[in-house]
Amino acid sequence: MAPKSASSIKSTSAVQTLFDAYTSQTSSRLKFIDAFLVFLILSGVLQFSYCVLVTNFPFNAFLGGFSSTVGQFVLTASLRSQVNPENKGVYKEVSRERAFADFVFGSIVLHFFVYNFLG
Amino acid sequence: MKLFAFVSFLAIPLAFAAKDGKDKLISLAASGNGVIRLDASTFDLLTAPNRDWSVAIQFTALDPRRRCTPCKEFDPSWNAVAKAWTTVSAEQRDNHFFATLDFDEAPTVFQKLNLASAPLVWVYPPTEGPRASTRNLPSKYDFSTGYEAGPLSIHLSNHTPVPIPYKAPIDWARWLTVVAGLLSFALTLRFIAPVLQSRWLWGAVTIITSLTMNGGFMFTRIRGSPYTGHDGAWISPGTQTQFGQEVQVVAAVYGTLAFSFVMLTMIVPYQSSPARQRVQVYLWSGVIMLVYSVLVTLFRVKNRGYPFKLLL
Amino acid sequence: MAIHTQVWRAVYGKSADAIEKSVENVDESIRAIICIPRLFPFTFGHVDGLPLSNNVSPTTVANTASLLRIVAFGLISAAAIASRLFAVINFESIIHEFDPWFNYRATRVLAAKGFYEFWNWFDPTAWYPLGRVVGGTVYPGLMATSGVIYNFLHYFNLPVDIRNICVLLAPGFSALTAWATYMFTTEMKDSSAGLLAAAFIGIVPGYISRSVAGSYDNEAIAIFLLMITFYLWIAALKQGSALYGTLAAVFYFYMVAAWGGYAFITNMIPVHALVLLLMGRFSGRLYVAYCSWYAIGTLSSMQVPFVGFQPVRTSEHMGALGVFGLLQIVAFASLVRSHLSSKQFQDLLTVSVISMGLLGAGAFIVMTYKGWIAPWTGRFYSLWDTGYAKKYIPIIASVSEHQPTAWPSFFMDLQFLIFLFPAGVVLCFRDLRDEHVFVIIYAVVASYFAGVMVRLMLTLTPVVCVSAAVALSTLLDIYVDVAEPAVPENENSSANGTGAATADAKKAKKNAAVGSQAGPNAAAAASSTLSDIVNAAKSSSKSSPSKQKGIWGADARLVIILNAIGMLVYFVFHCTWVTANAYSSPSVVLASSNPDGSQHLIDDYREAYYWLRMNTPQDAVVMSWWDYGYQIAGMADRGTLVDNNTWNNTHIATVGKAMSSPEEIAYPILRQHDVDYVLVIFGGLLGYSGDDINKFLWMVRIAQGVWPDEIQEPNYFTPTGEYRVDERASDAMKNSLMYKMSYYRFAELYGNGNAIDRVRNQNIPKIGPTLDYVEEAFTSENWIVRIFKVRKEDPLGRDLKSANAFAQGKKRKRSKPVSRRRAVV
Repeated sequence: MAPKSASSIKSTSAVQTLFDAYTSQTSSRLKFIDAFLVFLILSGVLQFSYCVLVTNFPFNAFLGGFSSTVGQFVLTASLRSQVNPENKGVYKEVSRERAFADFVFGSIVLHFFVYNFLG
Repeated sequence: MKLFAFVSFLAIPLAFAAKDGKDKLISLAASGNGVIRLDASTFDLLTAPNRDWSVAIQFTALDPRRRCTPCKEFDPSWNAVAKAWTTVSAEQRDNHFFATLDFDEAPTVFQKLNLASAPLVWVYPPTEGPRASTRNLPSKYDFSTGYEAGPLSIHLSNHTPVPIPYKAPIDWARWLTVVAGLLSFALTLRFIAPVLQSRWLWGAVTIITSLTMNGGFMFTRIRGSPYTGHDGAWISPGTQTQFGQEVQVVAAVYGTLAFSFVMLTMIVPYQSSPARQRVQVYLWSGVIMLVYSVLVTLFRVKNRGYPFKLLL
Repeated sequence: MAIHTQVWRAVYGKSADAIEKSVENVDESIRAIICIPRLFPFTFGHVDGLPLSNNVSPTTVANTASLLRIVAFGLISAAAIASRLFAVINFESIIHEFDPWFNYRATRVLAAKGFYEFWNWFDPTAWYPLGRVVGGTVYPGLMATSGVIYNFLHYFNLPVDIRNICVLLAPGFSALTAWATYMFTTEMKDSSAGLLAAAFIGIVPGYISRSVAGSYDNEAIAIFLLMITFYLWIAALKQGSALYGTLAAVFYFYMVAAWGGYAFITNMIPVHALVLLLMGRFSGRLYVAYCSWYAIGTLSSMQVPFVGFQPVRTSEHMGALGVFGLLQIVAFASLVRSHLSSKQFQDLLTVSVISMGLLGAGAFIVMTYKGWIAPWTGRFYSLWDTGYAKKYIPIIASVSEHQPTAWPSFFMDLQFLIFLFPAGVVLCFRDLRDEHVFVIIYAVVASYFAGVMVRLMLTLTPVVCVSAAVALSTLLDIYVDVAEPAVPENENSSANGTGAATADAKKAKKNAAVGSQAGPNAAAAASSTLSDIVNAAKSSSKSSPSKQKGIWGADARLVIILNAIGMLVYFVFHCTWVTANAYSSPSVVLASSNPDGSQHLIDDYREAYYWLRMNTPQDAVVMSWWDYGYQIAGMADRGTLVDNNTWNNTHIATVGKAMSSPEEIAYPILRQHDVDYVLVIFGGLLGYSGDDINKFLWMVRIAQGVWPDEIQEPNYFTPTGEYRVDERASDAMKNSLMYKMSYYRFAELYGNGNAIDRVRNQNIPKIGPTLDYVEEAFTSENWIVRIFKVRKEDPLGRDLKSANAFAQGKKRKRSKPVSRRRAVV
């Protein structure tokens, strides 16, 4: 994010407009999903910095935890993109219900492997 | 055998002369940029039975009359490795020598050693001193890794007191070409972008690549097959060999056949006149039958046991 | 690893005629089965498009079509399985080649003792004295599959022998491969192309070569997994469904557990995603499909112990990770763009995306230098730098299936598909939907790989079948369609048509240049590009271009259809012939022909292995070249020094050194490794070219890699650079243990005649080599396998050479069995 930090007041205002646009245009359901995504990002960053700064000793435990965060993140992001009304044209064959079922199935498989990995 | 008898006869005076001989060798090596140009007498001196130095000798025939292409190819690598050796500190450097013996300068040595081919690299281990080897026989370098300097220096480092500090020179010309190519690509990107975005350009590249690969191009490249045989034959019998020219012929045959099919699917149905369309259908079908027969015939030449054949 | 497939094929070619005769009946029946499905797809594939009589409802048509499809598919499966049974019919239900013997042995352990025992199985007899942790060094997918089938059948009280499951696993999975290919091709075009592709892959020799009955190797199930994973990936991409992405990941996991070639998928899918990105075809569907596949697939692949943490540690897997990261950035950017469209912000986005990309690449390079990410492993690296293996890893270069492919192999394995394949790729370029891009990339990459290594022909075969099926079915679509186009219109309207068409084409080009074309638009663009081409093709003749397509007249159709049928029938004959002759030999049992044309089986291997099993102590250690390690372990049940799992180069080089050194140097090595017997393969009597003398140079080369001072390849050649075994052979050659054991008492067979080595066509000296440190223990009927016993140290402390000389001087006693030997002419 180097360019952002090195930017002028113009870009800060751009971020401000972006934030405004986001709050006004996004439905509360999507905001809920976004909150979960932010939580996952924070959790991932925390785990990664622990691995880098402290130790990666049980490497499989770290990998299991980190992959579950990343995997859950992308699955949730997929769900967000599928239920986003703006993307209706993109997903012709995936209804909202189907999207949620896919999300659940993917998460179950993911966490099955994560559980196996921690073992 | 004769040589060794001769040398051992000379051994006693040489033992006294060894110190002088070594000094002489050192000066010879220094003057020859790390490589001693040998003749019959210096060869005997260098491979004297009582030596506390090791020596690597290149037997070669660089005279144009000898027509030894590999010798010419190998010589620069040899000199480069020898030059790298000169950068080693003196006390280590003087315990190992690099030498070159040209056939035209000492044919007697070739006869004595019963050598019939060149280039060869022999490494004589020292017989005295801390590194003395029990084996007096020279070890031979195996050219299976090619004529490059890198593998040579790795191999010879097994025999030298310290590893040879050889580093492959940076190929500036190549890097410059790459950089220039990238730059010109970036500059002309605006103009050639439409070409790059044309699917048929990519299509042509894809098709040509897969045709040459399926024609066995990688085989000829990896095995270094000649373009044609010695007697001018362009097809080599046997399913596990092939010549360079076969790649072209086979790729062309495949290409023609594929092209006929593409014409039949993509062009012929869009014809406006029934008569012309009919002619084209017959034409391309004929081409397919004929070229396919040629292909099967080619395959029968390669694989004699193949029982099927078409028109031909 | 079918090490000597080629050598073998070369040998086998000689007796090909005899074999063909002996199986003629089988041949016919199988041919009959195969022919039916070949003809099926295009007789009904177009039912949907046909103007049938009006009193048939569309539902009936659809039902009939799907019924026919099922019937055709059943026949294709039957043909695929049947044509793989030649080996069982010609020989018997036996495991083939080399690697399958290990897989079979491991599967037996799995079936007998259960999965946990198998997982913790330490095999002390292999790699003596090191042993091998089998559970952590195999891809267990194959054995697990057989184990599951075995337990399933036994649960239903069907007591099928585990050996038969192993033998028939590959044919069974070939039917599943045909189904997966059908699904994949259906995504590319339609179900008629799918059926054609299924029929092609069912009988194409390029795939049969690795999946005949008895060829119980990882590839047997891997190709099915490859195709099903690719199909699920394409389905996930088309629908944007996380379900299919997850399923793709699950099958990817199965693939990782089954075959080392999984790296092909690991790189193909990211390359596809990357190319789509570069073409400006990013969409939410791509994001969903790729991310769900990658996140779950990578995590699951790390469950396989043999793979371990490689997916996050080695360069082969880093491309996939990079594309994953890139997709996150692009997805985030496109989300932001949807909220905000100010020019300034767009610039900012572009800059940040590019700088993030550069940052990632830089981090990758730094990590490679720091050693956190392992560089490319030798096996993969040797695919790019083709000279690499020969220089640095002779053990890889020595395997015959790692040799480059000459063109006859392509034609032999793929026949007419090989030239339909480029035509199919052209058709993919015409439509160029997202999934077609995949086929195109696959075609290029697999063509290259198949050219570099014979064994990778296996990965080329599916894409050739798919692509050829697309080409052929498009052709038949056009020429079977009975609807004729209208009579050409007059000049005026056509002129307008031209104008419109070119305008269209220009527009399409512009759109393409913008680069934001989605799939359906691209198809439209494609058709106008096509008309552009047609216009160009016709502009010289000034004829009127009509937009409609079709064929006039029945004769033109008939020519094309007959031509196609002829080619298909020829293809069936070709496949049957190749399968029967080249790919159906177990290589444990050899076949030759008697003078009267009847088949003669040469069973020397099993004879010798059985001798070992019956006549040597249970804990005896047998030294042989690594090719035979698995067979000795599987059939003779004795310890081996090295085997086909070539993980320890030094150990193999030790064996190479022992074989290529003189007896007195080899003897201490043998004693240090507790070797009781030495086994060599000798083909000189029979003309069997895959013997140890022909592999000898590789032993020398590999030993030279470790002991460059003691073993030197040039010493084994004559001064003129020839590889000879007669009087002119070099001293190093004549004194080597391998030479001595191979030719020990060989000349005596011929009495006063010339002893001829039939492989190398050279005369063997009358006075053969003598052996002091080993003694002959067993020689098989045709001399293919010779086993020598290593003598113990002399009880009086003399060295064995002088002890022997002493004994010979005292009394010339021969206690060796002579009766077993006979000269086979």
